[in-house]
Amino acid sequence: MARKYAILPCNGLDKLQGPLSREVALALVEETGGEIVCPVLLNSARPRYEKILGELPLIIIDGCGTKCASKLAGSLNLKVDRKVLIADEMKTSALTPEDSLSLGPAGLEFAKALATLLAEDMPEEPSADLSADFDSPVEYTSVTHDKFIFRIPAAGFHFNENDCWVRVKGTRARIGVSDYVQQNLTDISYFGPPIVGREIGQFDDAGTVESVKSTMDVISPVSGKIVAVNTALVDNPEIINEDPYEKGWIAELELTDFESDRELLIDGAAYGEIVKKKAAEAQH
Amino acid sequence: MTTNGETARVLVIPCSGIGKVHGLISREATYEITDNLAQANADTMCLALLVMGDEEALSKIRSSHCITIDGCPKYCAQKNVELAGGQVAESIMVAEAFKNHRGAQPGTATKLTEDGWLVVREIAEGLSDRVQDLCGCEGEH
Repeated sequence: MARKYAILPCNGLDKLQGPLSREVALALVEETGGEIVCPVLLNSARPRYEKILGELPLIIIDGCGTKCASKLAGSLNLKVDRKVLIADEMKTSALTPEDSLSLGPAGLEFAKALATLLAEDMPEEPSADLSADFDSPVEYTSVTHDKFIFRIPAAGFHFNENDCWVRVKGTRARIGVSDYVQQNLTDISYFGPPIVGREIGQFDDAGTVESVKSTMDVISPVSGKIVAVNTALVDNPEIINEDPYEKGWIAELELTDFESDRELLIDGAAYGEIVKKKAAEAQH
Repeated sequence: MTTNGETARVLVIPCSGIGKVHGLISREATYEITDNLAQANADTMCLALLVMGDEEALSKIRSSHCITIDGCPKYCAQKNVELAGGQVAESIMVAEAFKNHRGAQPGTATKLTEDGWLVVREIAEGLSDRVQDLCGCEGEH
């Protein structure tokens, strides 16, 4: 099945392309089960759509060249995965909608056909059961500085100097933040997940974690396509405090080129030394 | 209101209302007014254009009588017109119109039933009278 998108149409009114953008959006939801984002409500009540926009990639459907939906997404700093402009689609389609704002049969047929075309062009929904390989127990070592004790997995994990880890199983990997991060932030109160389906590069942002003390971007140690996020963290971000290396994982990726990424990563022992230095610097 | 000494056309602005049948009713009622019942005196305006702060749209809204049609109690159309500096001469909510049609099945977000079209016509007829009042052209309807 084609994967789900958050769909932001311009939902225009006074030109034919506007009602078509709305109709295409609704037809796309019927075909793929995605979520409609009302542009006006998004502008006035963004928190209402925060979860949808955090979990689903975003497709924008503009009607005319004014591109209100694109402008809105830009003004709200939304990451856009795909854009469609109805005016352009009308030029290349064999179907010609009636010149009427209240759509007639030809307009509805145009919208349905375009939605089908877009759905066929969307990538497949990632498999839901990707987690079994990561269930094996983790053994820990620790480093200490003053009264602080920081846990670090003894083996099987790689780190970047941004305090993020990666655990690789075949072509898949899980990423997360270290024990040092969770102790430094103290009580984590918010988790902003990365978008499933997005391709990211090594050291790109892959979500955020936030406490009353600070906000931290999760810097991905590896490149790849995000195939799952730990949705349990959305309602219970404190899991990262409780278990940062296992139950508190942030995202799962299909790796692009781990052998190259690995050259810029360090193992647990080397990371332990960095943690000690950071802890010492933080005290002064 | 006047523009260059001429009576300005009334702007009828529905909510975006996507994904809900009441939103579709607000949109269809608007088209019924601007395309048929009060074609000579009413226009509509894309709410998204207004929300995005289009200068021409803002100017137009501030110099016209506005009628808003909202699908639900969020009143997105009324609020955004007022926020843009427009004067809302009449505001109605589709859900209220159903109080006179208890048990009516208006259809879905993509297709109205006969019940739905009945409410569209009822809203449109009431508001097209109001358009004529605002234009001072009561004798025309």
